[in-house]
Amino acid sequence: MRSKSHSIQHVSVMPNNWRRNWRRAGAILTLVALLTSTFVAGISAQNMKAPGTKSAAKLSEDQRVLHVLNRLGFGVRPGDVERVKALGVDNYIAQQLFPEKIDDSASEAKLQNLETLRMSTAELYEKYPQPGQLLRQLQQRGALPADLAAARDNRVKGGANATPGANSPKTSDAMPGQAPGEMQGPEMAKGSAKTNVPANNDANPMNNPEYRKAVMEYYKENNLRPAQFLTGELQMSRILRAVYSERQLQEVMVDFWTNHFNVFAAKGADRWLLTSYDRDTIRPHTLGKFYDLLLADAQSPAMLFYLDNFQSVSPNAQLPQQRPGAARGPLGVLMSNNPQQQRPQQQRPRGINENYARELMELHTLGVDGGYTQKDVQEVARCFTGWTILQPRGGGAAAAAVMGRDARDSAGKFIFRPFVHDNGEKIVLGHKIPAGGGIKDGLMVLDIVAHHPSTAKFIATKLVRRFVSDDPPPALVDRVAQTFVKTDGDIREVLKAIFFSPEFNSAGAYRAKVKRPFELAVSAVRTLGADTNGGPQFHQWIARMGQPLYGFQTPNGYSDVAESWVNTGALLERMNFGLALVSNRIPGTHVDLSRFVGDMNGKAIDKEKLLDRFVTLIVGGEISPKTRETLLKQLSDQVTLPATMPRTQVASNSAPPNPFEAGFQRGILAPGGGQQQQQQQLARVDVAAIDNPLVKIAGLILGSPEFQRQ
Amino acid sequence: MNRRYFIKSGGIALASFGLMTSAPTFLGRALAETIDKVTGGRRKTLIAIFQRGAVDGLNVVVPYGEHSYYDLRPNIAIPKPDGGAESAINLDGYFGLHPSLQSFKPLWDSKCLAIVHASGSPDSTRSHFDAQDYMESATPGVKSTPDGWLNRYLQSKADSQKSLFRAVSMTQNMPRAMQGKSPTLAISNLADFSIRAGQSSASMQGGFEAMYDQTVNDALHGTGKETFEAVNYLKQVNPSQYKAENGANYPRTPFGNALLQIAQLIKAGVGLEVAFTDIGGWDTHVNEGNQQGQLSNLLRQFSTAIAALYTDLGQRMDDVVVLTMSEFGRTAKENGNRGTDHGHANAMFVVGNGVRGGKVYGDWPGLKGDQLYEGRDLALTTDFRDVFGEIATKHLGTTNLKSVFPGYTGSSAKFRGVLG
Repeated sequence: MRSKSHSIQHVSVMPNNWRRNWRRAGAILTLVALLTSTFVAGISAQNMKAPGTKSAAKLSEDQRVLHVLNRLGFGVRPGDVERVKALGVDNYIAQQLFPEKIDDSASEAKLQNLETLRMSTAELYEKYPQPGQLLRQLQQRGALPADLAAARDNRVKGGANATPGANSPKTSDAMPGQAPGEMQGPEMAKGSAKTNVPANNDANPMNNPEYRKAVMEYYKENNLRPAQFLTGELQMSRILRAVYSERQLQEVMVDFWTNHFNVFAAKGADRWLLTSYDRDTIRPHTLGKFYDLLLADAQSPAMLFYLDNFQSVSPNAQLPQQRPGAARGPLGVLMSNNPQQQRPQQQRPRGINENYARELMELHTLGVDGGYTQKDVQEVARCFTGWTILQPRGGGAAAAAVMGRDARDSAGKFIFRPFVHDNGEKIVLGHKIPAGGGIKDGLMVLDIVAHHPSTAKFIATKLVRRFVSDDPPPALVDRVAQTFVKTDGDIREVLKAIFFSPEFNSAGAYRAKVKRPFELAVSAVRTLGADTNGGPQFHQWIARMGQPLYGFQTPNGYSDVAESWVNTGALLERMNFGLALVSNRIPGTHVDLSRFVGDMNGKAIDKEKLLDRFVTLIVGGEISPKTRETLLKQLSDQVTLPATMPRTQVASNSAPPNPFEAGFQRGILAPGGGQQQQQQQLARVDVAAIDNPLVKIAGLILGSPEFQRQ
Repeated sequence: MNRRYFIKSGGIALASFGLMTSAPTFLGRALAETIDKVTGGRRKTLIAIFQRGAVDGLNVVVPYGEHSYYDLRPNIAIPKPDGGAESAINLDGYFGLHPSLQSFKPLWDSKCLAIVHASGSPDSTRSHFDAQDYMESATPGVKSTPDGWLNRYLQSKADSQKSLFRAVSMTQNMPRAMQGKSPTLAISNLADFSIRAGQSSASMQGGFEAMYDQTVNDALHGTGKETFEAVNYLKQVNPSQYKAENGANYPRTPFGNALLQIAQLIKAGVGLEVAFTDIGGWDTHVNEGNQQGQLSNLLRQFSTAIAALYTDLGQRMDDVVVLTMSEFGRTAKENGNRGTDHGHANAMFVVGNGVRGGKVYGDWPGLKGDQLYEGRDLALTTDFRDVFGEIATKHLGTTNLKSVFPGYTGSSAKFRGVLG
C-alpha cells in the first residue's frame, strides 16, 4: 500500500547530556540574537527578488498586513490593520514569536469560568466521572445508593421501550457520560462521527429519563459534573482563545501541533487526558525546540492512550501475580488493580503494541517515505515498552472521593514501568541501542528521530504548507529544513525563515489558502467584532462544516489542503454559518452590525457606499467585480437604515457564563440544551433580521468565495 | 455504436452547441440519467448499514441446533423454534432468526435474504474504536489507511454519470468508510440541504449562486456551482412530500428515516451508487434480554426498517443490495449481568433481488469449548472482505479488488457466492 524507501539515514548519536547542554547553550544564543536583531534577515529576504513569475511579485504593504494577520492569526478584527501598520509588520511578527511577553489578561479572563482547564487529570477523574463507571465503582465498594441502583436496573430492563428510537445512534447517548454535544455539539450527536465512537459500556443509559434524573441528582448532591463537559470546555477554550487572544500566532501553532500530534477525544480515557494535553504538552512547547515537544508528547498520557502504547509490554514481562508483593506500589503493578480495567472485554496487555512506534515515525517525525522499515517499527516499539500511564482510567478516583477517601493525585500520569520493558539490545534506523537502557531506550529513539534529516524536511513541508501554500515551494522547504537542522529544531527560528521568505511574501501566496472550518468560523467572529462564549452551539457549526475540535478519529489529523474542505455539503454549511452568525441565530454569539454604520442611521444612503463599507470590513476591500455586482443587486437602490438598530450585547472582557454548567444546573445534561431544542433553534429563523440590508450584505460577503480564502 | 451511446452523445452535443447553456450541468447529467433509464441502462446501488456497538450475532441468527448454545446462555438464549412468537424463526433446521426479525422471514422465503455467519474481522481486537476503524477502512490491523473502502471503490471506477449524488451517507458526519479522495456527501436530512434563511432563502441563495457562478477556474467556484445544482435538483425531488410505495411502513426512528431517504434518492434517479447509514445501541453488556428486551426491541426496529425499504423499492430491488455489518460479535457465554461482552465473529445480512438468498453461508465453527476463538468467542470462518469484495465485484462491478482492499490476499475464489 505504501512504498517505503529503505535507505537509512545515519545520525551520530552523542551522549545525551552532552548533546543537551549544547542545545541549551545554542538556544540561549539564539534567543539573544533574536532579541537584539532588527530582523535584518527578514528585511533582506523581502528585498530578494524571487524568480520573475507574476505570482512571485511582492505584496503591497497593505496586503502584507492583511496577509500576516490572516496567516499568523485567525483573521482581522476591526482596528487590527491600523494597529499593525502603526507598529510595523516586522515588529508585529517579532512580538508574535514571543507570546509569553504579550499581555493576554483580557482573553484569559474569558476562560475564568472553565474550571476544568485548571484541574489536574486526577481531579478531573474525581469530579467528572462517567456515570456507568462511577456506579460500578460504588457497587464494588458496597456504596451504591439503593435508589440509584434501582434506577439503573430499571432502565436496563426498560431498554429501548423506555424511549422510542432510543437505541438509534442518532438520538441516543450511546456512550455513558457522552451525552449529545460532548464531541460536536448536540446536532452532531446524531451522526456517525459520534457513533464511530466506541460504546464501551451499557447501551444508552442516559435515554431513560428516570435514570438520567437519578444520576443528575446524585451528581448534584456530590458536587460531581458530567464527563461530557470536559471536551466541551476544552473546545470552548480553543474557540475563545482563537477569537480573543492577543497571542494569535501561539493559537495558530497550538492548532498546528494539536493537529500534527492528533488525539481523538472520544477514544476511551482520552476525554479526561486531553485537558492536560493542551495545557501541559502542546502549549508550553509550540515555539521551542522540536525535541522537547516530541518528548513531552511521547510522555503525554493522552498520546500514550490514543496510540495504545500504555498497554505495550514486553512479551517476556512477568505478570504481577507472579511477583510476590507486586500488588502494592505503582511500580509493582502491571495493570492497576482497578477492576474496571479488568472487565472481560478488555484484553490484558499481551505484548508489544506497534501503534505508537509506527505513527511516531510516519506521522510525527520522519514522514511516510522518511526511510524507516517495518523492522524499525518493531524495534522502536520494543524501546517504548513500559512507557505507560498510572491508573489510565482514573483508578476509581470518583468513587473514592465520594466516599470521603483521599483523592489519588497520581491517576492519569505518565510512568515508566521497568519490569515490563524489553531490555534487550535494539537497532533503530541503523543505531545500536544497547541492552539494559530502560527508559533511556525511548529517549534515544526520540533523539534519533527528532534529529533525522527526514524529520527536518517533513516538518518544514508541513509548516510551509500551513503558512504559505497547499503546494509547498520546494526551494523554500529546503531552506526551512536547513534552518531546522542548523538551529537544532528551533521552531521559532524555523517560523522566522518562513515568515520572512520571499515565497511567504509573494502575490502567489496571498489569499491562496482556503480557510478550514475552525479558521472560517473564528475569523468571521473576529472580522465583525462579534462577541461569543465559544459554547457548544458555536462549536456545532465548526463541526457541521467538518472540523469538530478533537474530533478527528485517525492519527493523521485534519488535512491542510483546500481540496479536503471544498465539497458540496461543507460549502453549503459555510454559507449557512455566515447567515446564522449575522442574523444572531447562534446562541451565545452576538453580532452588532449597526456599530459599523452609526453615521448612516436614519438617512437614505447610497447602496454602493454601504456595500463598500462591508467589503472593506470583511474582505479588506478586495472583491471580484462580479461578486460586487451580485451584491449590489441584492440591495435596493436607496437604502434607508432604521434610525435605531436593534442593539445586541456588546463585547465585554468579563468571563462569559459557562453554558455547560448553566445547562447542568437547569437539569439538562447535554450542554446548551437537548438535541430537539437545538433543532428548533436551527429551524427558527428570524425573518426580520435576514431582511435587514446589513444582515443580507454581511451574510453574503461571509459566504462569498473571497471570504473562504486567507 | 449502440443506441444508448448515441443518445448520450446526442445530449452532450446539444449542450456543446449552446442550446443547453442555461441548463445547469448537473441537470444535463440528470438528463443523461433519464436517458439511461429509458434505454435500460441502470445503476447498481449498494446500501451499507453499520450496526455500531457490536451486535450479538449468536442471538440474531441463532444456532439453535447446537446444544452448547443453550449451555452457554442459560438466561438469554432464544428458545428453539416452536412456531410461536416467543421462539426462534426456523430457517434451515439448524439456524433460526431472532423472533423480532419476523419481517425478514418473507425475504428469506423469497430467497432475497442471505446470511453470512461466523464472519468478521481477522484482527483480534476487542476495542470498538479499533474494530470499527478496521472494518470501515477494510484494512484490519492497519490504522494509518487514509481512506475508507467505499471511497476506494468509488476511486477504482470512473462514474460515467458524474452524479453529485453518487455516494451519500445519511449521517451527520462523513463515516470513515466513505472518507477519501472521491467526492461523497453526508446529509442527515435531505430537507436541510439548502440555504436556510427563512423567507429570504430564495433571494439569498440567488445571491450566493451568482457569486459562485463565475467562470473562474478554481475549486471554490466549481464546487459552489455544483452545490447549487444539487440543492436545486433536490428541491425538484421535493423530499418533504415523499410517500412510500407498496404500503411500506418505515419505523419513525432516525434509522427508519435514513433508509426512507435513501429509497427516495434511489427513486429520484439521482445516480446514487453507494449509500451508507448506521444504527447504534448494540453494546449489550447488561440485561441483553432474550426473545424480549433490549436486543429484541432494537432488532425489531432494524428489521422493519430494512423490510420497509425492500417493500418500498419494489422492482428496483433488482439493482439494490443491502449489506449489514458490525465491528465484532459478542462472547458465546453470557456474563454475570445477563449480557454479553466483546467477542469475535458475527453474522451479516445481504438483501436484494439479485442475492442468492434463503441460505446461511460460511463454515460453522461450532460453539464447543475447543471450537471457540480464544476459548470464549465464536471463531471466524469468513473474512468480512470476502463479502465486501464479492459485492464490490459482482454487484458494483469493480475490476480492481486490490486497490479497494489493499493488503487483502483473497480473491474471487474466497467469495461465498451470495450473489449470482
